[in-house]
Amino acid sequence: MKEKEARVDYREHQLILYVEKKDGTYAPMRTGSYIAKEYIDDFWKKRANLEREYMEKVKRGEASPIAFHMIVEELTPSELASRVRIPVRKVKRHCDPVHFGEITLEELVRYCEVFNVPLINMLRQIVSNKTGVRIKDEKCANPFFGTLSIRVGGK
Amino acid sequence: MSSKPFEHRMAAHCESGTVSAILRHAGMDISEPMVFGISGGIFFGYFESKKFPFPTFVVRSRPGRIRANLARRTGVKFRSERFRDPSSGERELDRLLSLGVPVACQTDFFYMNYLPDHVRVHINVHFVILTEIEGDGYIVSDSYSPGLALLDRDSLRKARFAGGSFAPRGFLFYPVFIPERIDFRKAVWKGIKSAAFQMVRLPVPFVGVKGIRLFSKRIAAWPALARDTEHLSHEVMKINVLLEDQGTGGAGFRFMYATFLREASAMLGDSDLRGMSERIMEIGDRWREVSLFAARIGKRRDLDRARLGELGSMINARADAEESFFNDLLDLSKKKKY
Repeated sequence: MKEKEARVDYREHQLILYVEKKDGTYAPMRTGSYIAKEYIDDFWKKRANLEREYMEKVKRGEASPIAFHMIVEELTPSELASRVRIPVRKVKRHCDPVHFGEITLEELVRYCEVFNVPLINMLRQIVSNKTGVRIKDEKCANPFFGTLSIRVGGK
Repeated sequence: MSSKPFEHRMAAHCESGTVSAILRHAGMDISEPMVFGISGGIFFGYFESKKFPFPTFVVRSRPGRIRANLARRTGVKFRSERFRDPSSGERELDRLLSLGVPVACQTDFFYMNYLPDHVRVHINVHFVILTEIEGDGYIVSDSYSPGLALLDRDSLRKARFAGGSFAPRGFLFYPVFIPERIDFRKAVWKGIKSAAFQMVRLPVPFVGVKGIRLFSKRIAAWPALARDTEHLSHEVMKINVLLEDQGTGGAGFRFMYATFLREASAMLGDSDLRGMSERIMEIGDRWREVSLFAARIGKRRDLDRARLGELGSMINARADAEESFFNDLLDLSKKKKY
């Protein structure tokens, strides 16, 4: 690939491509990601649609929060089971809202570690109708406890 | 080991970039393409399995083989260790860093929170170098980050001890011996021979050129495996990500391999390798057309049978080109003396 064909102006996502330079040599070149620049909006739109669709399923009692996060993070039941260190059949049961209540607190904490979400977010959705609201979950040494800080205005 | 400052450089791929950087710090100046080529890293494999949420493909050898094969072919020795207990893994890392030894670690990419959100997925084969402890975190030299980054202790622990496929189990490594003289002729040709063999001689239907052909045929069946059109679009566009963006240096490592062959040609004074480097660069250009086409039809949701058939034909043409290229490369590696 020629150097000029590889050049993409996109600072948010930089990468290295190996290209043919003007003098005919092959060398690494730092540039922007073409797909991120051209298609990132499409990626986030699809992601938002997927989250919305599965959140509705959770609300209607057709899917559990475990199923929601598993789909969004593109994990399979076997991969998730291996990460949470429980049998696959248990993960499949936890994906069913009927059996979600059987989950132990310790298992839920391990799921949260994999999904990188606060424990309480497995049981609720946070929405706001105001702009400029900054919501942040703050961890503490106690894995079963956290602080939700909501800041409006200012820096 | 010296305690000289660690020089961070971006690289195309995390494992070859990490090995190259940690060796450079230890005094062995070896480029990323040379690490990749000597290790025989170029590959193709198409996978449909319950382990993956959707059919996928890989364009490089098994994670960990780059370091292991490079060590075997050059005589470089790495000390490596895995840990059952996260606390002992963390203690050992801290001990090494306190001695001024930069340490390469295997991690789950998902927890590298200094990188953009859209690239972070659960994959346990991301390699980074930890260069020092800072406060309650670590300074990280990550091939995909433009500069050194800070990663908090909790995220690194999760990343090093994530479960799942290729679980890192705290794996770390660093060089302990670099030979004074390395027979690069032998190392280069052994790397070339093993890569070419894997691409055209392995009797497995889903790897090498056979894997590319399988991919070209199976893509027509993807609509039946997708949840809906948006899911199919996402998976088709991921072809572009896997070939171009996910640490390949472009065209599924084909551009990096061309650079390796060019560098090896100059190092060994071998004009045959120069010719081969031009051929694989050209093959890479056509792979890039595949990935751009996939991105465009995915964005337009233009994913009917005819369009996917067209994509399959483009991929099949890559199989033809690579079959010829790697057969010639294998023949060449058999003729050379090393």
